[in-house]
Amino acid sequence: MCVRCEISRRSLLIGGGAAAASLTTGVAEARVRPQDMVSLIGPGYRPTDTDEKGLWQLMDRAEEEIAGSNLLIKDPGLVSYLQDIIGRVGGPAAKDMRIYLAHVPDFNAMMFPSGFAVVFTGLLLRMRNEAQFAGVIAHEGAHFLRRHMIRSWRDMKRKSDLFAIGALAAGIGGAGAGVYLGDYVQLAQLATILSLFKDSREMEAEADAMGAKLIAEAGYPPMEMSTVWQQLIGELNASARYRRKRRERGSLFDTHPSPEARMADLKLDAQEMTVPGRIYDDRRARYLKMIGPIRPMLLEDQVKLNDPGGSQYLLNTLALDGWNGLLRYYEGEVWRLRNRAGDDARAAQSYAVAVAYPDAPPEAWRWHGLSLMKEGRSVEGKSALSRYLQLKPTAPDAPFIRQMIG
Amino acid sequence: MRKSKILLAATMLPLSACSTMGVGEGADFGLYTLVRTRPTSVGNGSMVVTPPRPWNRQRRFFFFDSVRWVEDWTLNGPYLDGITFVSGLPSGQYLVRQRRTDTQQVPKFRSDMTAPEVTAMLESAFRVRGGAIDFKTLNLQPRQFLGYSGFQFDFEHLDGDELWRKGRAVGAVINGRLYLILYDAARSHYYANALPDFEAMANDARLKA
Repeated sequence: MCVRCEISRRSLLIGGGAAAASLTTGVAEARVRPQDMVSLIGPGYRPTDTDEKGLWQLMDRAEEEIAGSNLLIKDPGLVSYLQDIIGRVGGPAAKDMRIYLAHVPDFNAMMFPSGFAVVFTGLLLRMRNEAQFAGVIAHEGAHFLRRHMIRSWRDMKRKSDLFAIGALAAGIGGAGAGVYLGDYVQLAQLATILSLFKDSREMEAEADAMGAKLIAEAGYPPMEMSTVWQQLIGELNASARYRRKRRERGSLFDTHPSPEARMADLKLDAQEMTVPGRIYDDRRARYLKMIGPIRPMLLEDQVKLNDPGGSQYLLNTLALDGWNGLLRYYEGEVWRLRNRAGDDARAAQSYAVAVAYPDAPPEAWRWHGLSLMKEGRSVEGKSALSRYLQLKPTAPDAPFIRQMIG
Repeated sequence: MRKSKILLAATMLPLSACSTMGVGEGADFGLYTLVRTRPTSVGNGSMVVTPPRPWNRQRRFFFFDSVRWVEDWTLNGPYLDGITFVSGLPSGQYLVRQRRTDTQQVPKFRSDMTAPEVTAMLESAFRVRGGAIDFKTLNLQPRQFLGYSGFQFDFEHLDGDELWRKGRAVGAVINGRLYLILYDAARSHYYANALPDFEAMANDARLKA
């Protein structure tokens, strides 16, 4: 039950794949309505059936491993903020669900069958406001509230051959028994194992509908749910297009509705959940205040991966709420790292614009200065570099920059 | 750089197991060769270093992922420590082999790069190829290398395997080509253990006449 798995699995539905998939499935399904989505578990839920108890035991061990990982960001303010959001949109299980923030520059969030969620920092970077983040969390939480994992687990045991079940159990056992080493690739594999739990369009539609209901009840604009999916799919497409390839395909058996159909459903959900006269708040200001201190780090993690298509799309998306010095600086970084003919001039321009903003990071002055010096504008360049050292006297590269200033 | 080769080695082992020629024992398929304590040319042969104790040279797989100006050594295995030599990488080349369609790429080297740009390129290499999720520059200062004015770059990084590693690179751009020796090791114990070897080699490295 993970965001990224869902998107990659849906990828082949883009373009020609969409027709093929709708042909194979054949039947048009009725839309799941948000108002029909009630939680199937109450507060303090514990499993009583043997198979579910066993699953929870494995998951408890996986959680122990994850909780001890040094890839987790443990900033108490930030973690309690995220916990607070899950508390707002977690329905009856609001107090039972746990959330872990892993420092991984990729967008993903996953819900485990025993009610804990792992969120990657790359997801925080991509959310424009609290409502969007709450939407993803509500969708994931809905899988737990609707008992999707145990339902599909049982469904699969009923349908599949023994070998498949054995392999799956071994995978989960491995994850629970400490084979998980904290490597985020392995964590992603864990997500893949989790993704085997679902694959049902019905469950995804349920989670979407229930997510929309939960965030609307919490006072967030329900339309943000569909905006999130649009942003995430748009970025994957932009990244793939840039490298001149198709978006990567997920599993062979893709049972998800096309993004377009899903988007349409989410919009309908949002309309139905919107109560006329009620004021909804996306809590953007609060989100930015809480994320602000780590936002430069999040951008650094993304941009330094030198994925120009994805990073540009992301910066432009964040800039829909207004450009600032930080975003302009990282725009320059995208060009500089891309390093094609003419990119140095593009980067130089972005740095020059960035330093005109009061919130420009000190590093914008460094690269502005270095760009000017490469253009032969040595006096202005040195002055910008001096400004960098003034803003960040303890910069680790200060000895080298001082030599350049001469 | 090093890790991608390990992955490559791992993918090749099954090949040897399938081989009808019966190859597959470590010796024939050795990933490493011994480097003795005498002047040794590295990379494409244009740089010479003298290791103070024996090291292990990682075998290069041409046509797969290696670049002829780049060579890797290790003392205790590539997960624990390693030295990478770059012997005159020309402008427009990459430190690693990569496909044009790779989503994330190590930036290209250009002859007009300043030290901060070279170090940013190295950082991206660690993030893209090494799986570093946190990377800290500890220091960037001027330092002579091969008789030219160059730089020393100190850094540490947390990788996806939850281990903190620490490294130092000494390099210079000479006649538009990048010359560099990069040391990277597990931060606890291993870094301090082989740093003197690195320093000795960085200090007496020379260009082949």
